[in-house]
Amino acid sequence: MKDKIGIAVGIGIAALVIATILFYVLNAGDLELNEIFPIIIVIILVVSTCYILWDRIKNIKKGLPAQDERLKITNYKACYYGFIASIWSAVGAPLLSGILFDFELSGHHVTAVVVLFGGLAFMISYIYLAWKGD
Amino acid sequence: MKTRIKEFRARYDLTQEDLARKVGVRRETILFIEKGKYNPSLKLAYEIAKELKTTIDELFIFDKD
Repeated sequence: MKDKIGIAVGIGIAALVIATILFYVLNAGDLELNEIFPIIIVIILVVSTCYILWDRIKNIKKGLPAQDERLKITNYKACYYGFIASIWSAVGAPLLSGILFDFELSGHHVTAVVVLFGGLAFMISYIYLAWKGD
Repeated sequence: MKTRIKEFRARYDLTQEDLARKVGVRRETILFIEKGKYNPSLKLAYEIAKELKTTIDELFIFDKD
């Protein structure tokens, strides 16, 4: 039951994120490259989330658990990598932006970079560890 | 760590999915344990051994290398 609630919440959040992206893209007019890049990362995160949800649904249908002890450890490891990526992106993004583009990132830009890179690092490491083993 | 799970599964004509269902884990977990890519918890090792009607000592071979 807990797994099913988790999956339902996950599907709801993914649907809301997709709706938000669609709403933004349809109303934003001409998008520049620096606006497209975060959207691509968000789409990658949503697609990865959908894959993970589909995998869990598949297991539940077969009568197997959605998550077991190995996936819990995988989850912790992926969270750790996501956390490290967030910290380094918080330090590195303003620094690289200043050096390479001579552009000072504002607070909300840095927040966006931290969230997106942390999420991306989490997803990549989660899927890699879940597929290839620890 | 090497395991003899595959050998014992064959003895009782169990697939990875059957064993996974019996011990309450995902099929991939059994696959990774068989390949030596994941070391199960003591509880899971005990449950697998119990399902395969053997002991942990018989099932898992500790390899120092």
